[in-house]
Amino acid sequence: MNIISVGVNHKTAPIEIRERISLTETQNKEFISGLISSGIAHEAMVVSTCNRTELYVVPAMEEVTGEYLKEYLIAYKDARNEVRPEHFFGRFYCGTARHLFEVSSAIDSLILGEGQILGQVKNAYRIAAETQAAGILITRLCHTAFSVAKKVKTKTKIMEGAVSVSYAAVELAQKIFSNLSVKKILLIGAGETGELAAKHMFQKNARNIVITNRTQSKAETLAEELGTGKVLPFETYRDHLHEFDIIITAVSTKEYILSEAEMHQSMMKRKLKPVIILDLGLPRNVDPNISKLQNMFLKDIDALKHIIDKNLERRRAELPKVKAIIDEELVAFAQWINTLKVRPTIVDLQSKFIEIKEKELERYRYKVSEEELQRMEHLTDRILKKILHHPIKMLKAPIDTADSIPSRVNLVRNIFDLEEPNQSY
Amino acid sequence: MNNILLGNIPLLVLNQLLSGLYVFTGVLYGIHFYGDNEFAKNFKQPGLAMTVLTHLFYLGLLTSTEGYKISYSTFNMMSMVAITLSLTYLFIEFTTKSDKTGFFIISFAAGAQVISSVLTALSPDKGMAFSGLGIGVHLIAAIFGFSAIAIAGLYSLLYLLLYRQIQHNKFELLFQRLPNLEVLEKLTMHAVSFGFLFLSITLFAGYFEQQVSGESISLMEPKLLTLIIIWFLYGTSIVLKPLIGWDIKHMAYVFISLFLFVTALIVLMTFFSPTFHRLTP
Repeated sequence: MNIISVGVNHKTAPIEIRERISLTETQNKEFISGLISSGIAHEAMVVSTCNRTELYVVPAMEEVTGEYLKEYLIAYKDARNEVRPEHFFGRFYCGTARHLFEVSSAIDSLILGEGQILGQVKNAYRIAAETQAAGILITRLCHTAFSVAKKVKTKTKIMEGAVSVSYAAVELAQKIFSNLSVKKILLIGAGETGELAAKHMFQKNARNIVITNRTQSKAETLAEELGTGKVLPFETYRDHLHEFDIIITAVSTKEYILSEAEMHQSMMKRKLKPVIILDLGLPRNVDPNISKLQNMFLKDIDALKHIIDKNLERRRAELPKVKAIIDEELVAFAQWINTLKVRPTIVDLQSKFIEIKEKELERYRYKVSEEELQRMEHLTDRILKKILHHPIKMLKAPIDTADSIPSRVNLVRNIFDLEEPNQSY
Repeated sequence: MNNILLGNIPLLVLNQLLSGLYVFTGVLYGIHFYGDNEFAKNFKQPGLAMTVLTHLFYLGLLTSTEGYKISYSTFNMMSMVAITLSLTYLFIEFTTKSDKTGFFIISFAAGAQVISSVLTALSPDKGMAFSGLGIGVHLIAAIFGFSAIAIAGLYSLLYLLLYRQIQHNKFELLFQRLPNLEVLEKLTMHAVSFGFLFLSITLFAGYFEQQVSGESISLMEPKLLTLIIIWFLYGTSIVLKPLIGWDIKHMAYVFISLFLFVTALIVLMTFFSPTFHRLTP
């Protein structure tokens, strides 16, 4: 019994290769159904995201190797001209388990500790389960991976801190103001960057978001989408600057849209209460001299990238803790896999003793009353349970190396004269 | 009057043990602030609670030998500063759920208690004992007032450090661990408000006590003069902020200066004039 994983990801192949080999949900279902129905695999699952397409397979034949599966996937995608086996990674047995644990914990992600991958792995498992391609091994592997990811999330700081510019802007705002829900926010520019920043602010309970944009209809659409419904005409927003605690600018312009004089006047009007200006525009939208004003926090993209770099540094420092959690779970998973190998022997052992019990009881069926026979059956069940307890416990005991399993199994099979097993697990 | 601690070994041991407890708790808060140690995280608050309880027990035992009268001595005052700071900080931690400023407050409390314990072991004089409601309220309010000055000073310092880190794009440990600027501002202003309240009580209780005893006190007496200046500045800052929006950054410099000034004054008085107000009949 083995479990193989092959695939392409951001570490092994460039984006064009990853795009070429990726599977849609429909293709995913079709692909794993094909593997099962053609007798290639007992179990199969595909994790397909924008950064990775990875295949997890419990092979049904010895000929099914990593190389075989790589070729099979390339052939399925009809991508022989672009994709080569060298673009793939390959793992088997515990290497596969470790890889899925690392993927689920987001330490194998392009952005360390990103929060989406666990949902994507769960989705891959859902597809495999719905297609009835997830058996005992993949189910256990996935559930352990989910448990590892949960432990990593709660016991380490691998997912803490902003790692995108728009989220770093929110993190910074929260380091100055304690409650965004009571702060008035002005968003200048309703483009993609501004929209993202406004949405992150909204997620952190900011509700008083006013939007202004050269094209007013775009501002109105975004305001409606956010549910704030507050729009300020672009021609008049300068008259209201003093009302806002947070100003986000994200417009495409070659000239500064906020000058030092304007902001100085605004600060006087608001009695020097702190203001954050988040300049997300490129080129910059706001006069950098504004940062010299008292209680004015002006941050551009470069400043926000400092936050991201620090957060990534802190996340990297958490890697040893994450790896320790993975190692611990990996040992437990390997021991569980080893117990699968003794399962047929346990079943045979129990069957053999039940057979003996039934034969012996049969001899007394007409010699004793029904009530006495029931008592005898009950008694023999208890005796059998006690006799079998130790051999089964010994078989199931944690095994560090798979090499010691055959000798343990053979010993029990020889002692109790069990026939050769005809199933692998 | 003789130092009763020197003749009472269990009390003296308890006094020295208190220093150890304060330092240990301060270290736990420090480890929690600078690192991510689970032990420090879980045991710092119980550690502080145990330290405070031990301190209260110690004060009970100490005053029980003298009919629960407060005696004025530098080591007693420093010890009282330690307990009031710790009690005030515990209150802040429970109410704000923020435990990231504990290291700074508890370290100061630990410093005060260590000085107290060292002076206790060295000083043969336990100081003048006072009884009566007026003087009791005066002393206790003064101690709480100084604790509030210390807390306002320390939070102001943290505010300025975080402010500078944000302004200079240095998103280091303080940026990660400290509460946000608005919370630090609120904590500072609460400490200032409490400080103003306690200093007002100190002044009124002192005036009342002086009227009752018929003793006179010089307005140029350093402690009294300092008290009046701080009381005036605290009162002014409370009024000015909502009126003209005097920004917290400048106020923070004032609060830090006052804190340093009062601390320096206490240290100097400890060595050069370790007496109560110079009263004349």
